[in-house]
Amino acid sequence: MSVTTSLRRLTWPSRDAVLAVLFIAEVAMIGILVPGYLSPYGLLDASRQFAEVGLIALGMTLIIVAGGIDLSVGSLLALVSVTIGFSFQAGLPLGAALFAGLAVGAAGGFFNGVMVTSLRLHPLVVTLATFALYRGIAFAVSKGAAVSSFPEWFGIFGQTSIGGLVPVQLICFALLALVLALLLARTPFGRRLYAIGNNELAARFSGVNTALTRIIAYTLTGCLVGLAGIIYTSRISSARGNAGYGLELTVIAMVVLGGTRITGGSGTVLGTVLGVLILSYLQDGLTYGGVRSDWALIVTGAFLIVAVLLNEIFRRVRR
Amino acid sequence: MAVETQVEMPMARAMTSRERRWRSWPQTPSLVFLVVLIVVLCVTTPGFATAANLRGVIEQVAVVAIVALAVNQVVLAGEIDVSTGSLVAICSFVYGNVALSQGGAWLPLCAALIAGGAIGAVNGVLSTYGRVPSIVATVGTQFILRGIVLLAGGAQVLNLAVDSRSFGAGAPLGIPTSIVVLAAIFLAMQWLSSHTTFGRDIYAVGGNSRAALATGLPIHRIRLLTFVLSGVSCGLAAAVLLGQIGQLQATAATGLELKVIAAIVLGGTRITGGRGSNVSPVIGAVLVGVILNALTLNRVSGAYELLVLGALILAAVSFEGVRQRLSGERN
Repeated sequence: MSVTTSLRRLTWPSRDAVLAVLFIAEVAMIGILVPGYLSPYGLLDASRQFAEVGLIALGMTLIIVAGGIDLSVGSLLALVSVTIGFSFQAGLPLGAALFAGLAVGAAGGFFNGVMVTSLRLHPLVVTLATFALYRGIAFAVSKGAAVSSFPEWFGIFGQTSIGGLVPVQLICFALLALVLALLLARTPFGRRLYAIGNNELAARFSGVNTALTRIIAYTLTGCLVGLAGIIYTSRISSARGNAGYGLELTVIAMVVLGGTRITGGSGTVLGTVLGVLILSYLQDGLTYGGVRSDWALIVTGAFLIVAVLLNEIFRRVRR
Repeated sequence: MAVETQVEMPMARAMTSRERRWRSWPQTPSLVFLVVLIVVLCVTTPGFATAANLRGVIEQVAVVAIVALAVNQVVLAGEIDVSTGSLVAICSFVYGNVALSQGGAWLPLCAALIAGGAIGAVNGVLSTYGRVPSIVATVGTQFILRGIVLLAGGAQVLNLAVDSRSFGAGAPLGIPTSIVVLAAIFLAMQWLSSHTTFGRDIYAVGGNSRAALATGLPIHRIRLLTFVLSGVSCGLAAAVLLGQIGQLQATAATGLELKVIAAIVLGGTRITGGRGSNVSPVIGAVLVGVILNALTLNRVSGAYELLVLGALILAAVSFEGVRQRLSGERN
């Protein structure tokens, strides 16, 4: 490697740094344009809106890094929510109902993973089918009805904050982001995910149990959907089959904006967290400023395309 | 119509060439399933085998099938387009507004086709020359387009005049117009696939893009054109949709993109490209329509619709996976 290339690599800002600057600039700009927006309480409270998608995005990062994709997460969230609500209504203690919700989430993710690996089907096809199936089960169980009579204490997951300032789900998101960041970057399991995403065949020939590794990634995502489902149900205090509609594409947009390559092999959890923050605070700022929320869709789409375009340009410059 | 040239193997039992071609068709499993299902329904469900009912089923799936026929070409070329829901919405917005100011049906149709084609071209340029993976690029445009439609259209619900609805309502030749449009698109695609260089190139690019590149095919241009095709079909689908419902709504065609992909996959087109036929998306769409119709006729609660549909799609794709593993096509 020549001196100029190494110099360029050293001085070229990392993708995460660019995203971090972009995020700070975005919040600062909203703060300037919308007076009264920049308050610690308001900024922290906004996390109530994104902790759920953020949690799912963490898991989705692992799946996409390993070259997969999961379109069923929004439907699985609905199924988890309905499981919690309706098993509670049927007489299960709420604690057990929550556990059942988590288990359903894990099982849903596990099923995706097994279908993808055992039949060697394209993950897009499998999760498109479970996208319909999971919401289908949620509708069939709930029959279009909703459960919204939960005991008071259920609010702790989605409605309370610690010290009146930090929402519980933000702590949950931060902790799991840390855990998954370490898992992806610092463990053999994480390295295997990258290996599979770069070249699955080569990974298999190097002795990686690719099927098991991918199943674990899907199951982990399922668990995170389960947790997100608990927080969601607690936050809106209602369990209904149409929960999380259209969530999957937002989650994928966040992960990809965070610099994870959709074809697998590269990406970081920190990038995803920044992707989540950028898109969520954009939406929050627009809503707070009284701008029609439809603008958020346009800006989200534009951000996504521009980010990936720039990514490709960066990649070519680096070579 | 057998789309993959397969190496002819000497077989123990002599198969006729026709039998062999049948077996190699990507749509054979779904076609067999559809035929069996229709036979069963004819026997068990009164009211199914009437001309009016069957006509209704096809009319209902026309919009999805029209878009799926074009997106099928995108998938065959190894790309994907998930922006079609918003594309149909924005095309129907264009169609509706031209129809309200100018009247008629042909002028609005032209406007919708041009709008769809132009947006399809943007999708195509991003996915090919821009090197943005098409699933990301089209998710992006899906968000942007829906945002634009919601901003521009908002809560307004506009009713169309009768003469602007001619692509989706009425049956001048005894056959509903939407079915005529669907048949025309099918024939056009069939001609494209079997009688044009472009149509053959699509399979080559999707089957092995590096080999296609080495052969000298302009793979970017071919893929770009399939996206334009997809956009134009959304313009046409918008005309049919507006004709059917007669109203312009900003939330129209929400979620259409995944129905379209489901129809294509159900029909037997390989999601990674290179294998499939024009019959596939039609069979996939009709299959979904027949199942939903059977549920309605048997008075199954609407709450079970999606469950049955999901289980069916899952069964179909696992069947294809098992078949491919058993037949040794992949291991």
